[in-house]
Amino acid sequence: MSDRLARDRAEIRDLMGRYLFAMDWHDADAYAECFTEDGVLDYAMATLTGREAIREGARKFREAIGTIFKREDGTPALLRHVLDQLVIRVEGDRAWTTAFWWEMTDGGPGGTPAIQSFGTYEDELVREDGRWLFSRRTIWNEFLDGRQSRTENPVRHYDRAAEAAAG
Amino acid sequence: MSTQSQQDYSGRYAQDRAEIEDLMARYLFAMDWGDFEAYGTMFTEDGELEYARGTARGRAAIGESVRAFKQAIGGIYTDSKGNPAILRHIIAQTVIRIEGDRAWSTAFWWEMANDGPGDKPKAGTFGTYEDELVRQDGRWLFTRRRILNEFLEGRATGETNPVRGIDARAGAA
Repeated sequence: MSDRLARDRAEIRDLMGRYLFAMDWHDADAYAECFTEDGVLDYAMATLTGREAIREGARKFREAIGTIFKREDGTPALLRHVLDQLVIRVEGDRAWTTAFWWEMTDGGPGGTPAIQSFGTYEDELVREDGRWLFSRRTIWNEFLDGRQSRTENPVRHYDRAAEAAAG
Repeated sequence: MSTQSQQDYSGRYAQDRAEIEDLMARYLFAMDWGDFEAYGTMFTEDGELEYARGTARGRAAIGESVRAFKQAIGGIYTDSKGNPAILRHIIAQTVIRIEGDRAWSTAFWWEMANDGPGDKPKAGTFGTYEDELVRQDGRWLFTRRRILNEFLEGRATGETNPVRGIDARAGAA
């Protein structure tokens, strides 16, 4: 474990926060900037490669969730993702992270929060010009067919990848 | 590329972030356990707290305002016997901009209490914190905390990504 882990971890946590604010406030430009130029986003709707495709994907996501999540009065609900525990492996300028997320809307009975789904993020990151960026984010969702997380403890997957990269 | 100012992650960033995350957690324990003295000490002497009940300035006023808030909420959130519910706030993703001894932060929070059917947990509301902090005598303190709540009229966060706001304020400083 490198002595930089605390610093890398602080920086990656900041990136994770920026990603979710960009997603939930539909800031497609800020969202795309969380990825490398040739970054990959693998999620339920598609696998997208490159910032431009990811930016466009964020716009489509906004339209899609406006029709999926509604309040009792039929208006589009606010959707908020929540990021909790986060495991980070760092080897030099590469990192692998596994995190638990869940999401809720403001569309529950009587205008209350309603939990919608939960899943995991599996991420590969690189440090470019002193900034951590996603080179690949895979979003697993336990409530979507074909998008459920691994049956094995997901942390093992990236522990192996990091060990292989470390040689 | 973004035309916005960017965080320089070299230097003290991780150290400052760890300290600020500790402050954020202390804040929530003080709030949820009703420790208003501890709550006040997390703000600078002339700090401001802006939330649904208005703006309180200075440690004494902030402590008093939050005490009154806690009393009021105890009448709104109740368990099945009518007792004040056990209310817990949870902080999740947090973006922190740090420039020297000043910082700007936005974070997502939500809360739940034992006021669901059968006194089970029930999510009540969620929103964001928008904070300005300073480092005084080696300690990070809030100079201003603004609490927004998506479920209260006039207190919603609005359409703009809150991170744009903190990047703009940090860039201007």
